[in-house]
Amino acid sequence: MTSPARPWYVPVGPEEQVFAAAHRQGLAVLLKGPTGCGKTRFVEAMAHDLGRPLVTVSCHDDLTTADLVGRHLLRGGETRWVDGPLTRAVREGAICYLDEVVEARQDTTVVIHPLADHRRQLPIDRLGIVLDAAPGFGLVVSYNPGYQSVLKDLKDSTRQRMVAIELGFPPPDVEEKIVAHEAGVDHELAARLVQLGQAIRRLDAPGLREVASTRVLIAAGRLVAEGLPARTAARAAVAGPLSDDPLVGEGLGQMVDAYLADDDG
Amino acid sequence: MAEDVAPLGLLASALAGRALAVGAAGPGEPAWTDGATVFVDPGAAPADRLRAVAVQASLVAGGSLAPDVVRPLARRPALARRYLAVEGHRALAANGDLLPPGLRPLVDHVIAALAADPPGSLAVARGPGALPDPPAAFGTLRPRALPAAADAEQAAATAAAAAGRLPDVDDDDADPDEDVGSVLTSPVGGRGALGRLLARLLRPARGPGGTGPVGAGAPARVGRSRPAGGAAAARGAPEGLDRAAAALGPRDRVYPEWDVHRRRYRPAWCTVHERTAPAGDGPAPALPGGAGLRRPLARLGTGLDRTHRRPQGDDVDLDAAVEARVAALAGVPADEAVYVESLRRRRDLAVLVLLDVSGSAGEPGPAGRTVHEHQRAAAGALTAALHDLGDRVALYAFHSQGRTAVHVTRVKGFDDRLDGRAARRLGALVPGAYTRLGAAIRHGAHVLDERGGTPRRLLLVLSDGLAYDHGYGGRYGEADARRALAEARRRGIGCLCLSVGAGTEPAALRRVFGPAAHATVPTPDRLPALIGPLVGVALGDRRAP
Repeated sequence: MTSPARPWYVPVGPEEQVFAAAHRQGLAVLLKGPTGCGKTRFVEAMAHDLGRPLVTVSCHDDLTTADLVGRHLLRGGETRWVDGPLTRAVREGAICYLDEVVEARQDTTVVIHPLADHRRQLPIDRLGIVLDAAPGFGLVVSYNPGYQSVLKDLKDSTRQRMVAIELGFPPPDVEEKIVAHEAGVDHELAARLVQLGQAIRRLDAPGLREVASTRVLIAAGRLVAEGLPARTAARAAVAGPLSDDPLVGEGLGQMVDAYLADDDG
Repeated sequence: MAEDVAPLGLLASALAGRALAVGAAGPGEPAWTDGATVFVDPGAAPADRLRAVAVQASLVAGGSLAPDVVRPLARRPALARRYLAVEGHRALAANGDLLPPGLRPLVDHVIAALAADPPGSLAVARGPGALPDPPAAFGTLRPRALPAAADAEQAAATAAAAAGRLPDVDDDDADPDEDVGSVLTSPVGGRGALGRLLARLLRPARGPGGTGPVGAGAPARVGRSRPAGGAAAARGAPEGLDRAAAALGPRDRVYPEWDVHRRRYRPAWCTVHERTAPAGDGPAPALPGGAGLRRPLARLGTGLDRTHRRPQGDDVDLDAAVEARVAALAGVPADEAVYVESLRRRRDLAVLVLLDVSGSAGEPGPAGRTVHEHQRAAAGALTAALHDLGDRVALYAFHSQGRTAVHVTRVKGFDDRLDGRAARRLGALVPGAYTRLGAAIRHGAHVLDERGGTPRRLLLVLSDGLAYDHGYGGRYGEADARRALAEARRRGIGCLCLSVGAGTEPAALRRVFGPAAHATVPTPDRLPALIGPLVGVALGDRRAP
């Protein structure tokens, strides 16, 4: 049911203990943190530890209740009910992970309410049934408080059904370890990439929509592992994706040059 | 080989921990900073430029340029040099974790350990001990360029306080002639407190460009001892009214005006000059987060439609399913689109934000900030929010100087990107001159028609009052503005006016726009509660005259 190797995750605080305790108590978990800080990897590792299958749904603003719960489809001359991912997780006792849950429409998020409180039930109107969650079912939602689409905030009624775990970017020494491990580069380069990331995170420049996450630093490291010069890799993986503004892009390029100056010889 | 040094601003900001621009210093000049911009010699070697920027940015980050520390250095260059020799190392060492690896050898940890903070460095500098000269990369300190700019972070909030710190500046806001200062589109204006201060200093001295007698008697007031920024300000000064009477450019247009006394139009009466706003070379002001505004604005026109006969959807569309089944049984190819899907309607809104930058907006409001600052923040927030929602949005500023010189300045056109440059253009706007609202509305409606490109269009005016222009006051002006609005609304353009931070209720605007299409808010953060219904009404009633 679960893969033999545990997905590699380095805990920064007590998040693993909190998650495991919440899962044993049947409490839903709300993961908060910026994009690319390791939320998805954390859930994968925890699902592995707890021995539950993981069902991941990436939420988007056209995600409907039917997309989560299921719908009738016409096949030949008859209608057939097809379970959605949430229903499947409820039946199998899997961990259902709703990634970027604020992106989903608010009328969609309310279907998780009866699942997230003491009832642990999923009513399926179209079938006229109420499903009790199988043992081991866990609901995890992630949410990026600094995300640009603050247009949709999480409803209070949804929030208060959750146990919150806040994840941030790991401290420099841990992040260095992560970059070195994930990208397969030496610690010297990992340290420089992390330093570059730390510097970019201090910026509050307009046009710089998302900060340099651990994910983009790893991507830069992986390009280096493929043999690219560090500066080329960082420009492609860090500076390029962060901004389309030519002025900001040029500024980021200068930062890349400053921090990775003598790696290229 | 001089190069553009501005891109180094990002690195400088990262090291300083706040927005810091990089500009060009004179050839051979040592690097220095005024607290908002680091000036380095563009002709220097790239590694030297990098070192200079890192040192100056670390000084900013380390609080080395705080007014009370730097003040004693003002007229004592030798002491300033000794202070820099100690404090430079201390600030670099304090910033050590952030410094690019190549710059670490710059730090002398022995000297850095002499002091724990800027006052400590000052004490060491004043002491008798021998100190090595600061390395060339440390550049120089210009204490007299600093005080007003040192607080650039909170420049908007502390503008008044900064002015108060400079007793040699005649900062007389009570002078009624203050309003009639000429247009000053100096890029320095975007540089925070110092820029605004200089703008204010220069404005009355330059006078209103000879199109009328108003303001001709304004006394010239010049600061007596501010040489550091004066030259910089003068760079931007020649822009403005002198060009007002220039021949019609490709984007200039002539509009009629309604003469209420004679009950007829005056054909080809006003000339509108459209141009692109110059970008300030200071740090781009952060566009205020339009987060709070997005929610009410997003609700407009994004209702869910249940759409039938879709190839996928939440429910089976019974009619379509029955037909498909009948077709299948009859041996005819059946349509497989048999579901009902709820779809969000596409946004089809173009909004032109028209920002009043007449002189009256430069007056401080009740909360200390000027009306212009409030309106500019609101304009930025609205533009950013609408842009993020996927609406087509443009931001123009307007003021006028008689009927032949109505200036409409493009900060962001419909097809321009909303980026750092647009933010700098917005930040560089300096209020001046008068308001000829009718012509501005007519031009705004024209731009919406020509470049908006969507069926639903909204003209959003941000103004603090219906100020006069030459021959455009009271009943005449009101009637013309009302007429211009009626013309726009007849063409299907929703019109709406907001007054932000104005001290008094702009009764004339309310009369012109109508109570349902005008609102007054004390600060931009009150907008979210109001904007939804206002825009809804403006768009819904757009066909009513």
